[in-house]
Amino acid sequence: MNVANTSYPVNRTENVPDHSLVPPCQDACPLHMDIREYVGLVSQGRIMEALQVIRTGNPFPSICAYVCTHPCEDACRRSQVDKPIAIRSLKRFAVEFGGDRMVQAEAETTHAEKVAIVGSGPAGLACAYYLKKFGYPVTVLEAHSELGGMLRVGIPQYRLPREVLDIEVKRLTRMGVEIRTDTRVVSLDLLFELGYKAIFITIGAHQSLRMGIEGEESPGVIDGATFLREVNLGLKPSLGRKVAVVGGGNVAIDAARTAIRLGVKKVSILYRRTRAEMPADPAEIEQALEEGIDIRYLVTPTKVKRENKRLNVTCIKMKLGKPDESGRQRPVPVKGSKFSEQIDTLIAAIGQAPQTPDDFGVRIGKGSTIQVDPNTLTTNRAGVFAGGDAVTGPATVTEALAAGRLAALRIVDYLQHRYPLPVKEAKEKLSGDLLPETIEMIKKIERAEPPSLASEVRARDFEPIELVYSWEQAINEARRCLRCGVGVEILFQDKCATCLTCLRVCPYHVPHLDASGAICIPADQCQACGICVAECPAKAIVLRKPFDRRQVNDELSHAIKSAAELKNKPLIIGFCCQYGLFGTGTLADLWRGAGAGVSIVPVLCVAKVEASHILSAFETGAEGVFIAGCGEQCARENTTYWVQQRVAKVRKVLGSIGLEPERLQVFALGTTTEDPVEELDKFVEQIGSLRLASVIKGEVKS
Amino acid sequence: MIVAEQKPLEDIIRMIVPYERVLILGCGTCMTVCDAGGEREVSFLHNALQLAQARSGEGAHTFSEHTVKRQCDPEFLEALGEKTADVDVILSLGCGIGVQAIAEYLPDMPVLPGVNTSFMGMTKESGVWDERCAACGECRLEDTGGICPITRCTKGILNGPCAGVKNGKCEANKDMDCAWILIYQRLERLQQLDKMRRYYPPRNFRAIPRPRRIMSKAETVTGESNG
Ligand SMILES: Cc1cc2nc3c(=O)[nH]c(=O)nc-3n(C[C@H](O)[C@H](O)[C@H](O)COP(=O)(O)OP(=O)(O)OC[C@H]3O[C@@H](n4cnc5c(N)ncnc54)[C@H](O)[C@@H]3O)c2cc1C
Ligand code: SF4
Ligand code: SF4
Ligand code: SF4
Repeated sequence: MNVANTSYPVNRTENVPDHSLVPPCQDACPLHMDIREYVGLVSQGRIMEALQVIRTGNPFPSICAYVCTHPCEDACRRSQVDKPIAIRSLKRFAVEFGGDRMVQAEAETTHAEKVAIVGSGPAGLACAYYLKKFGYPVTVLEAHSELGGMLRVGIPQYRLPREVLDIEVKRLTRMGVEIRTDTRVVSLDLLFELGYKAIFITIGAHQSLRMGIEGEESPGVIDGATFLREVNLGLKPSLGRKVAVVGGGNVAIDAARTAIRLGVKKVSILYRRTRAEMPADPAEIEQALEEGIDIRYLVTPTKVKRENKRLNVTCIKMKLGKPDESGRQRPVPVKGSKFSEQIDTLIAAIGQAPQTPDDFGVRIGKGSTIQVDPNTLTTNRAGVFAGGDAVTGPATVTEALAAGRLAALRIVDYLQHRYPLPVKEAKEKLSGDLLPETIEMIKKIERAEPPSLASEVRARDFEPIELVYSWEQAINEARRCLRCGVGVEILFQDKCATCLTCLRVCPYHVPHLDASGAICIPADQCQACGICVAECPAKAIVLRKPFDRRQVNDELSHAIKSAAELKNKPLIIGFCCQYGLFGTGTLADLWRGAGAGVSIVPVLCVAKVEASHILSAFETGAEGVFIAGCGEQCARENTTYWVQQRVAKVRKVLGSIGLEPERLQVFALGTTTEDPVEELDKFVEQIGSLRLASVIKGEVKS
Repeated sequence: MIVAEQKPLEDIIRMIVPYERVLILGCGTCMTVCDAGGEREVSFLHNALQLAQARSGEGAHTFSEHTVKRQCDPEFLEALGEKTADVDVILSLGCGIGVQAIAEYLPDMPVLPGVNTSFMGMTKESGVWDERCAACGECRLEDTGGICPITRCTKGILNGPCAGVKNGKCEANKDMDCAWILIYQRLERLQQLDKMRRYYPPRNFRAIPRPRRIMSKAETVTGESNG
């Protein structure tokens, strides 16, 4: 097994230079997932393949589909045009419609060295998954009665249904991962004595930070992580009628929303800065407000006192002062602004830190985190690795998964006495913002949000609130992707005649002349529409990905091979766009309804069909050829115009060799009032009669 | 730049009848720029000829294709190498100069012109070219504000405009600007209208000595004859 390869997405075509660049979404993803690729597959309705790409890069995609904080969306370049691609929701669509829960994971044990994993959060489970896949016997040791770490005891069920987590746990068990719950590890020496050759510590960050105010120990004051753990493990803490949550992060929001769901009448959040500084996810803040939670900014508690079975909380108002080390403005108390309030429960959710048993003997650094080498995740003890929240402090699920995967690779290196292979980025990153003139030309398409339960309904219980896209919604959303980094390049500058055609035909004003008079096509602006590829008279421009480059030719030769079987029917070849609705079934209707042998050449946008391709289709004996695109629905500019130009050119050739120009047709959705299926039927009939006429003509001749 | 137009397919089909193995040869310079004979057009013609042959059932040609950077320089033709070994004819999509350069370079190989070389011109917009120079050998653009009356006036007159101008358009073609009105307007802008008032003697239509040749190097190196 080649370990080095498993950490990179596999190239589809070997040996051909792939000059595509890493898009910002992929770069921002801790797991480095091939987002552009799976979003592209979704936009073509190829959901199973999308799921395959997703599973290659992520051990537990269904979990991420619910709870990932989607740093990819924050980096997405589409936000420079309108709004980012809804990547997480598209992943959710792919895992649901692609049937992720049915995927079987199998693994064989091919090595003898046992590995122990301490903690079963996402980092621990991901490491177990990969080590088992690489053939190592793995044992996961978990202090709680159930697996999952914060996925089980932190994140509320309305955001992550436990059934999703259970499926992943079951898959691991089926793969043969040994699981020991209710086992708190206090010393690593014992594990080594038991024969484990390597240990991965992923104990998370579960120790809540203290507020450091008077009365914090009073009954009725509870910390956020403990509160959520109790609720998640099935307890029903009694909170009273009025609850205040202190903090501004996701844990605070989750605690408040959980309290509402437990029937508390009035829940407020006290945050010492303003909404702009609030670290919680904006969408979740919005949802909390919808559910009736009152968020009070620039307020902090200074004292708690237990009186008459209630809490008397003294608060003070704050204002923003000079920036602190984190760059955020430091809140400072406003003199004389103290006020008190009676509440029943105070939940403190101001952060957590790891708590590592002393006997582990690992070096502890800032914020009680375990110190490791960031490239190898090794601690100061030989054979002991650490990762996840225990190393970073409270972070995210994807970061934990990435740490688990990295740990698995490095543990394998360690067990095989191999020097860790340097992690080298195989491809260049796409950098640079879109220029105003490019942005201006990009079609604005509104971001589609997936449906969710109404706020009145959802605040009543712990039902999952986010629903899945419909097929059509998902495809339309995926089509918004700009496919950053897979545009075109001039492979051999020497071939360029500097004719300026590309500069003139590009709808996005991308190609330009540099100071020396050479044509440049900057990768960070190109929208990969492919128009210039077909229009360049020197054939100097190619798509950056070998697959895209050869796609039309390869598909055409497939179609021709399969057409050879349709001897008696007139053959019709159709170049059909695969994006959008054509990928969803309209296309299938087209062939099913047709009375002729219609052979489809699937293309990724009709703008990539060159005049030569059309002639080649005729050359193979097609009686008719059509090009069907999404017309006005196309996410790119001018595509139909260029198809029409090429069709006019080919029709001229047909005319001069005695073939009727009507044998070549363009169907574009939205440009005709007719139903495309009916239109095609008519075309097929027409071709049938043209063929009859030519047979008769032939007979008369001979 | 030299501008040409591909010959009608029918003409090309007729021209190649006597030959079996045809090499379609493109030119990577002017013919590429004017869409008449670059690599893309070479492929397209290749496809078209093959389709024509398949559909008519006549002819048994085999085609090959290649494009050189510039046909009018023999050094570029050297790159053809073995590509001409198994062919009976070269169908050149170079301009008339390219065709002749090949004929000179390959004395035993028939060459056919695949394009009609039309004029020297400039791009008006993508896919549209306009004639701008007739290579008359006696340039007068100095006197005409940089607008050539020989190519742009239908009659090529030197002391225009003639009486046929109407609303700034030419009597021969109502869509065409009168070159002399354009010249007048430009000279007016440049405050050189006095040039309009001068009389220009008729062009010298005496036979220009041909073949013409231009040298940008010293004709003889001292002490040597160039014979
Ligand atoms: C309320 C809440 C909501 C969150 N929401 C999100 C979200 O929406 N999206 C997101 O990306 N992230 C979210 N996070 C953060 C995310 O859950 C964590 O970053 C992630 O779970 C860290 O994974 P981990 O494997 O490092 O540790 P954990 O998930 O914390 O798992 C550590 C495990 O180790 C066990 N353990 C500890 N000590 C021992 C011991 N000595 N022996 C045996 N077992 C031990 C613990 O019981 C626990 O099960 C949230 C966190 C919280 C608390
Ligand atoms: S537009 Fe597409 S490729 Fe570009 S960053 Fe967004 S998701 Fe990634
Ligand atoms: S269209 Fe082709 S030949 Fe013309 S300038 Fe662009 S790259 Fe060069
Ligand atoms: S592929 Fe499209 S967007 Fe990119 S340079 Fe060519 S014409 Fe412009």
